[in-house]
Amino acid sequence: MRTLVTLAALALPLSAQAAETGDLVRFVSCPVYRDADSGKKSGCWLATDPGSGQRWDVSQSPYKPNWDFAVLVEGRVSAASADPCGAPVLEPVRTSILPDPCTRHMLPAEGYKGRKFVLPPRNIQPLSVARDTPPGPYAERVFTTYFEFDRDFLVYQYDDYIIDKAVTWVRAAKPKKLVVTGFAATEPETVSGQMLAERPEVARERAESIALTLRRLLPELPVETKWELAAKPTDDPDADTIPGQSQRRAEIRAIF
Amino acid sequence: MAAADRFRRSLPLAGAALALILAVGARGNAPDRWWSPGEGRVLPASLDYANDHGVLRTLVVGGPLKTRGHPFFEPLGANGRACVTCHQPADAMSLSARTAQERWDATGGMDPLFAAIDGSNCPILPQGDKASHSLLLERGLFRIQRPWPVRTFNGQPVAPDFTIEVVRDPNGCNSAPGYGPNAGNVSVYRRVRPVANMKYLLAVGFAFDPKQGYALPLDPDDGKPQSGNLMADNRAGNLRLQMEDASSVHLEFARALTPAQIKRIQDFELSIYTAQQSSPAAGGGLDTMGATGGPAKLRDSQPGALGSIGTPVWSEFAAWDKISPEDAAKLTPQKLAFRQSVARGARVFRDKTFLITDSAGINSRMGFGNPVRNSCVFCHNMTQMGNDVAPGQVDLGTTTQPFADPWDDLPLFRITCLGQPHPHYGKVILTYDPGFALTSGKCADVGKITLQSMRGLAARAPYFSNGLARDLRGVVDYYERRYNIGYTEQEKQDLVNLMSVL
Repeated sequence: MRTLVTLAALALPLSAQAAETGDLVRFVSCPVYRDADSGKKSGCWLATDPGSGQRWDVSQSPYKPNWDFAVLVEGRVSAASADPCGAPVLEPVRTSILPDPCTRHMLPAEGYKGRKFVLPPRNIQPLSVARDTPPGPYAERVFTTYFEFDRDFLVYQYDDYIIDKAVTWVRAAKPKKLVVTGFAATEPETVSGQMLAERPEVARERAESIALTLRRLLPELPVETKWELAAKPTDDPDADTIPGQSQRRAEIRAIF
Repeated sequence: MAAADRFRRSLPLAGAALALILAVGARGNAPDRWWSPGEGRVLPASLDYANDHGVLRTLVVGGPLKTRGHPFFEPLGANGRACVTCHQPADAMSLSARTAQERWDATGGMDPLFAAIDGSNCPILPQGDKASHSLLLERGLFRIQRPWPVRTFNGQPVAPDFTIEVVRDPNGCNSAPGYGPNAGNVSVYRRVRPVANMKYLLAVGFAFDPKQGYALPLDPDDGKPQSGNLMADNRAGNLRLQMEDASSVHLEFARALTPAQIKRIQDFELSIYTAQQSSPAAGGGLDTMGATGGPAKLRDSQPGALGSIGTPVWSEFAAWDKISPEDAAKLTPQKLAFRQSVARGARVFRDKTFLITDSAGINSRMGFGNPVRNSCVFCHNMTQMGNDVAPGQVDLGTTTQPFADPWDDLPLFRITCLGQPHPHYGKVILTYDPGFALTSGKCADVGKITLQSMRGLAARAPYFSNGLARDLRGVVDYYERRYNIGYTEQEKQDLVNLMSVL
């Protein structure tokens, strides 16, 4: 048995064996839920890279797995302790639900406590809390929202936070119109032996989804939509240094 | 049956009236428990009615209210009903199955409550037969006929991303001539939602509907965001739309409500608060010994606060966790224990976490994950009311297989998703009530029902949109079965006691 483990370890890609803090990790696998219990939302999500055999703690994704489906994991190796969930941590991290079915797997806590819930930094205040007026001068500006792989669904405590900031700024800046451009990462890429590419239609869906939200929040302002395929990565800070996340976006451009 | 016939049948009711008095006498309550349309009574500023768990109090801001000529209390349409017919003060401005049974016994089924349009299982059935009204009498259910294909809130047509077929139609209202998807409609059966404490149900805490992934839709009348918490299927986004829907369907009012009528009804609905006020098991008022139960607190508080970042949900009863020895000495051991149980129930409600699985609106499409560990207040999160601060469309499985009880007296539909499968049920779904999907047109919304208000529960059994829980214990038992929570017997009783004093 020991020999088998050694051989398996030798077969691992070098990059996997030498993963260092800050390295980008990207793979597809079935998620595993660890039933850690430190109160609400404290359970752990784990996912094993089939290429390296390394199990990662992917719990910190703003959109979490569904144990019935595979996930595309994209994250950076963190120096954080493996103690909460029993696996080294990817953070920042994203876990996009894919259509491929998975068998449900749940591990007991096995002494791991998970993480006591704290509000993520991107959380919006109730409407009853007045927003500070952003200072001028105001000029053409772009706010960018981000999505799960191949989806147009506005991400809770991520996109709503960005849109809330955008709307607060727009109300102060009073641009002539908004142009929302949806992007899709349509160029095929092979991840864990699977070819992944977003549907071209999702670029338009993203633009229209964000435009609908903006029309509701800013009913007096014209909102136009455009869409682009073959999205390239950007270095926008709100994509949290994850290239794939930066490709799956919709840009809100304020035009004066 | 023609409405005129129903009226003629309703007139010679002296014997029935006597039976009514005897019936309410048997419950030990005042003889004016039932509010008939057009009777012209004055609605007091404060009105108490007894129920099995104590006394429910209804407050009317600006009351008393003369109901003579008031459009909420007058029979507007052809069938003799008024809004008050199904929104009775004694039943927390809803209608319990027990009250329906009493009205049947008192009137021999002649009360406008049992109008063929929706107070029977289907208008095609013989209306004089009690069995034709079994769903109302046994589970408090009214027939709700929705258009097919779907129309969204505010009446706009939607191309649904699913098909609907009738698997079983025990009452005929989904397959008889003029009824069913092939005739352009779908009939489902639902409980009456309370018309009270409305400022909470209309409150908007945040600008987004995180369950749908958009900003909240705007009210067509005032341009403000809509709460999405009025109707079981969110088909009416404001009170005007709700009352227009109700008057044309439930009251069979052939004309449109006038702006003056709409304003009077709306003003009334915004002025009325109801909650349990006292409990014999607690030894008296629910606003004593530091507790702040009862409707006055509801009337005087700001709506829309999220309990997790402000005043915790059901902290109205926190003081009963630490009743002073002096106060304790005033109570019997049983009454002291009941108050302590209520306080524990509030903590169980907030703090006892369990794995929530396969519930659209929670586990999808939002990013909480499936499963996610949380407690009752995850969804029942609004301070003082226990409804959802966000639009509360969630699928608990109460209307959809495999979780719903196998009731063969309800229609059963086969939903087939045309695009993406439902995230938890797959491509084909069997349901008694597609719920919010009949408004949104989305397969992913099948089975979602807007969270109920939790006030006045003691007065308005049975519970859930299709009345599956006959009593408060039934509510707890359903959640236990659905989510395998592992409540202890003490925790179950604590939750029942809590709900009995709301």
